[in-house]
Amino acid sequence: MSMRRREFIPLAGTAAVACYMGFRGKSEEKIPDGPAGRSAVSIYKCKSYSDDLADKILAGIQSCGLAVKGKRVLLKPNLVEFDSATVVNTDAAVIAAALEVFRKLGAAEVRIGEGPGHRRDTYDLAEDASYRKTIPRFDDLFVDLNRDDVSAVRGFAGEAEMYFPHTALGADLIVSLAKMKTHHWAGATLSMKNLFGLVPGAVYGWPKNKLHYIGIPESVVALNRQFRNTFAVVDGVVGMEGNGPIQGTPKQSGVLVMGRDLVAVDATCCRIMGINPEKIEYLKMAADIGHLHSSRIDQRGELVRAVRTDFQLIDDFRDLRLEVVEA
Amino acid sequence: MSLQSRLDFLLRVQNADGGWGYFPGKQSWMEPTVYAMLALQGCTEGRSAVDRAWRLLLSWQTPDGSWRPGTAVQEGTWVTALGVLAACGRNSLDGVGTRGIGWLMDQSGQESRWTVRVMSYFHFLKTDVNVNHRGWPWRPGTSAWIEPTAITVLALKKSMEKRRDGSVASRVREGEELILSRRDHDGGWNSGNPSVLKYDLPSYPETTALALLGLQGRSRQELAAPMKTARQFYGDCKSSLAKAWLTIAFRCYGEAVVEAGEFKGNPDILLCAIQALGSASGNYRLLKTGAIA
Repeated sequence: MSMRRREFIPLAGTAAVACYMGFRGKSEEKIPDGPAGRSAVSIYKCKSYSDDLADKILAGIQSCGLAVKGKRVLLKPNLVEFDSATVVNTDAAVIAAALEVFRKLGAAEVRIGEGPGHRRDTYDLAEDASYRKTIPRFDDLFVDLNRDDVSAVRGFAGEAEMYFPHTALGADLIVSLAKMKTHHWAGATLSMKNLFGLVPGAVYGWPKNKLHYIGIPESVVALNRQFRNTFAVVDGVVGMEGNGPIQGTPKQSGVLVMGRDLVAVDATCCRIMGINPEKIEYLKMAADIGHLHSSRIDQRGELVRAVRTDFQLIDDFRDLRLEVVEA
Repeated sequence: MSLQSRLDFLLRVQNADGGWGYFPGKQSWMEPTVYAMLALQGCTEGRSAVDRAWRLLLSWQTPDGSWRPGTAVQEGTWVTALGVLAACGRNSLDGVGTRGIGWLMDQSGQESRWTVRVMSYFHFLKTDVNVNHRGWPWRPGTSAWIEPTAITVLALKKSMEKRRDGSVASRVREGEELILSRRDHDGGWNSGNPSVLKYDLPSYPETTALALLGLQGRSRQELAAPMKTARQFYGDCKSSLAKAWLTIAFRCYGEAVVEAGEFKGNPDILLCAIQALGSASGNYRLLKTGAIA
């Protein structure tokens, strides 16, 4: 009667205890130093979505040394739910600003694509999130990644084949426009986990239960190994705390966090949220592809301690709280 | 007019291989192809389009009886239930349909494996859902969810209108019980389960509509609360697809519903086909079924 821990995780809400245990992290483990060199992560204060977001995104891209000219860019927001009254989705203003900046920097093409995990009606979701109203010619730029053409790739997380949308496979650069949110399974959902939306629902369903069976942390890391040409812009202007990623409450944190190393960006976001990134399972597992330790991250713009705003955590995740204020 | 304009659109955007993509000019997929076929069935000008689509569907059935979800994908999935629905619509249950039903009968959510049931029974495993009912997953080897379970239950019920089978009836009953056991606190259905950890999940309008389609034939009393929730959703949901599914559900239950608006050229082929099916003179009847004896 053998059953691996991760097999319990997706049982449609069964195995709550196993899920809980799965994401606690083994805090005593030695975490690798990561790849050679250091990673730049930019933090810019933004009081509201009326600030000049484009200026800040441009500054973040330049301070992280990202080359954009001639690239086919896919902007990947976090579009989750019909809930315009709250903060579940990446704000439309952030996407519009990123679109403007990547075009200005000479991208050959900029598309916007998303494959929501639960809801089928992506265009109506985009309408409800004000994307169509805010982003000029949105329908011409947008691809529903759940229902795009697909091709198989080999070697994803030990699977014989895994299917991905052509729009993602053909992009030279994928920009994860994530929302800064707590997550009731993973602890936090940021730029790395946002890549779940690259997995096509037409093949894997709504939700993409296959990823749960591979394991949520394992899938997050595998997606980030699969798609290496990435950049992160995390919308923490207003994030979500408590029972995220859907039912939490708004949290004004007033920042945009950017960088080419998504592990370093997410680790930095965690520190801003008052979460210990070394206790987030997928970040630990990704420590060979990016920098988790603050000593290997060059902070640009604001310092973490200047913008740290502790996010409320559900009871099951209280021990993720970062006690020491890090630079 | 709104039905005819949608059918015209479907005919215009059929792919050369006989299938339909989710959007014009894209790869053909099983889901939009089956719903477009059902929407066009019986329409004189759609006859050859439907025949070509059926031929494509036949090429997508794998040797084990399952159906592939699309041109580019090799393994069979939940869309096998759609293949069975299409076969029922064409009176092609023998051979093709039977093999599809056989494959579906071999599938169930991993949470209902005997190992999980035993562990749950002895409280080694804390579960938020009843693991004793076998439903259907999106893909083999994963958990059962409401949508694939509801569509499969519907397809199997339709198949039993043509040919009664005791073992199929038994699985249908289990599928219905699974759906009923996972109803949310607000009366409708979420995609999988009513709560995560100790937090209640809200139901979704589209999943609620599909669950109601799967539960056709159950007592009105049993479904009073879900119908009420569905009616509330119909009034205020923002998803066109959800509204289209709710329309079909209400029509199948004989309830009054407003006709969908004029087709405005939205390129979403699946949505167009579901809206056409739900039209007052549409083919929603192909999804109407009764109780199992």
